[in-house]
Amino acid sequence: MASLASFSTISSSSAARLSSLRNSSSNSFVLTKSSPNSIKLLSTPPRQYKRLVLKAKANSVIDAPTTSYINDVSDSPKVLLEVKDLTAKIADSGEQILKGVNLVIYEGEIHAIMGKNGSGKSTFSKVLVGHPDYEVTGGTVLFKGENLLDMEPEERSLAGLFMSFQSPVEIPGVSNSDFLNMAYNARRKKLGFPELGPLEFYDYISRRLKIVNMDTNFLNRNVNEGFSGGEKKRNEILQLAVLGADLAILDEIDSGLDVDALQDVGEAVNELLTPQKSVLMVTHYQRLLDIIKPKFVHIMEDGKIVKTGDISIAVQLEKEGYKGISS
Amino acid sequence: MAAAASSSTFPPPCHHLPQLHQNHTKSLSSLFKPKSRTTKFSVRPLSISPKASLSDPFVLQIAETLEDSNSSSSLKQSPILQKLRESSSESILSLSWPTRKDEPFRFTDTSFIKNSQISSISADPESNLVDFESDGGDDTQTPNIVIVDGQIVNSLSKLDELPDNVYVGSILGIDSDEIREEVMKFVSNFEDKDLFWSLNGIGAPDVTIVYVPSDCVVEKPLHFRFYSHETSEIGSSNLPMSNPRVLVLVEKGGEVGIVEEYLGGAEDKCYWVNSVMEVLIGEGGKVSHTYVQQQAPSAAHFKWTSVRQESSSTYKLVEVSSGGKLSRHNLQIQQVGPDTITELSTFHICVRDQTQDLHSKLILDHPRGVAEQRHKCIAAHPRSQVVFDGNIKVNRLAQQTDAAQLSRTLLLEDSATVNMMPNLQIIANDVSCSHGATVCDVDDDQLFYLLTRGIDLATARKSLIFAFGTEVMSRLPCDSLQKKVERHIQRLLDPTPS
Repeated sequence: MASLASFSTISSSSAARLSSLRNSSSNSFVLTKSSPNSIKLLSTPPRQYKRLVLKAKANSVIDAPTTSYINDVSDSPKVLLEVKDLTAKIADSGEQILKGVNLVIYEGEIHAIMGKNGSGKSTFSKVLVGHPDYEVTGGTVLFKGENLLDMEPEERSLAGLFMSFQSPVEIPGVSNSDFLNMAYNARRKKLGFPELGPLEFYDYISRRLKIVNMDTNFLNRNVNEGFSGGEKKRNEILQLAVLGADLAILDEIDSGLDVDALQDVGEAVNELLTPQKSVLMVTHYQRLLDIIKPKFVHIMEDGKIVKTGDISIAVQLEKEGYKGISS
Repeated sequence: MAAAASSSTFPPPCHHLPQLHQNHTKSLSSLFKPKSRTTKFSVRPLSISPKASLSDPFVLQIAETLEDSNSSSSLKQSPILQKLRESSSESILSLSWPTRKDEPFRFTDTSFIKNSQISSISADPESNLVDFESDGGDDTQTPNIVIVDGQIVNSLSKLDELPDNVYVGSILGIDSDEIREEVMKFVSNFEDKDLFWSLNGIGAPDVTIVYVPSDCVVEKPLHFRFYSHETSEIGSSNLPMSNPRVLVLVEKGGEVGIVEEYLGGAEDKCYWVNSVMEVLIGEGGKVSHTYVQQQAPSAAHFKWTSVRQESSSTYKLVEVSSGGKLSRHNLQIQQVGPDTITELSTFHICVRDQTQDLHSKLILDHPRGVAEQRHKCIAAHPRSQVVFDGNIKVNRLAQQTDAAQLSRTLLLEDSATVNMMPNLQIIANDVSCSHGATVCDVDDDQLFYLLTRGIDLATARKSLIFAFGTEVMSRLPCDSLQKKVERHIQRLLDPTPS
């Protein structure tokens, strides 16, 4: 909570930082930075390093170094994510978006959240990965038993949480291969493995590319720059394939995809699934759920989960719309 | 004497730009139409005295120092050079050292030069060879020209792979009458641009000529490397000044690539390089120009690039400027015929207490010109100063011009200063022009994206800052140069890699 709030402060102060634009005597303008500590905050944010219980699976780590943990071998599935009464607002405007979300995901479960536009689905995903635009105002989130809200976004990622963005940002000047290499090495570093140089990494990544059905020249392009909608989504799934995750949040992975591309992306996700890995999908349409089959479907309305059931809810939704659900 | 007469006769230096090339004939030689005023003084021996009331004693002192140095040297007696020096000396008389009250230097503090004792270069670089080859070893593939303190060092240069009829070398070594005539026409048509342009004209010990005849395509880029051998220690009041000058003449249909690399050498040296390059591109000609500035941290670096484009010609510039305490680039491009293509990509970075200044001016007077300018700048030090004055002028006859200008600055530190004056002046009514300017920190969304993939904040920021400049650096003409420049920028951003 504390660390999330501090991150939000940084992002809101960046607006103030840029606003010190003043007119000078001619038609030029002068920009100077005014708030003296905003940048320092960004470069050395307050950190609360938490020790995560990490026991790497030695054989799978080299291929996909997720931070999966196996603490004991009991058969009963363990709680992976536990969200209790989560409330959050937009940091800038103060508008309350999440009004008490409750959700429990066990290891190996696939969940889907559906809901009207503006019901808070995407905000919920973003809050889970620590987006600085939102401020958590109440409730708790435990991930593998640890307080997720205490972690920085990069720590959440290293702990095994992944979110595929609905509209991934373009990063000109950073090649896809450098980006993936950086992210992969961050993971290896966390696990105490030596980092991979560009050549070794190329070997590894080439094999992963096949999963999402992509060409190797894709690696030389800048991150998401000039990508079509479909390519952007594939790139998200490629990142999931490279980095691995215990919980993958797929935020509208189906939007902007044609039928074939949807099939490809969906199958790629299925291929990455193991009995321990969990998925939380946010979607508007049943067609994605026909490919990645969820155990639970939740309906979100006005910042809360109002109904939970199985795939039949999605079927009903497709037929009758949200009216049929809420009645 | 000369001073008194000239001060009343001369138009003030900034009034020469309009009208000059309204009659757009297409031959190369038509550009050299001599102006009447120059003939008046051509036979008079040079003499500068602080008599005229307009003269600035500091300026005259520099001019005298430079003059003395050149007249004492025996090899520099060429009529063409003499002509250049005369015209330059005349123009100096009405010019004073710029202050913050002068518009072109409003945001650029030149006082550290003014507080120094300017000395000229005395030694002949050939007689005093030092190891300048150490950092240029990877360029053996391309023709090389090494210029030390403004003079070509033939023993370090490598020019044997050039096509016939192409001339690259000292103005004194031209053996073709035709080329000499072309060059003479050009030099005779001396234009006042500013004080530093004229000081270079007085102080240039030589003019390096690149002559590309009609329809000749020079495949490999000419790689100029500029060094400063005569320097002073930091803290000394003495500031040695060198004045390299290069003239590039590309005839109709000719094509050439020019790489200018300014290298600083020792970190603790102080000097002032005041360099000029003139580029003339004939009809349909193409010049790809690369300019890399990596002077020592205490050096002053002034640079003029003046380009004239005839019809259907192409000029492309890629600039990466990171060195010096004070670095100023005056870039002026004059279109003298229709259907020209002009592409300017520049990247400046300040990582110390330093100033990086680009003043660019692109004047379009003819139809269907295409101009694209992108300027990127990083202010990464609390005392860095960034200045950009980018003017694109689309005059009345320049219909169907397609011009775009974009300048983006990353402001990374408190108290760093960015002064931007992007401006398009459009008089023609059937044009497509766009411009934009941004000053901001690293993009929050991009940063967050990298963080959510487990990349730590410091690494994520570093990679985004570096990525900001790659849009320009990726346009550098050859891979080896690009890698070299990228490594240099990476070192500047991260002096102690883990």
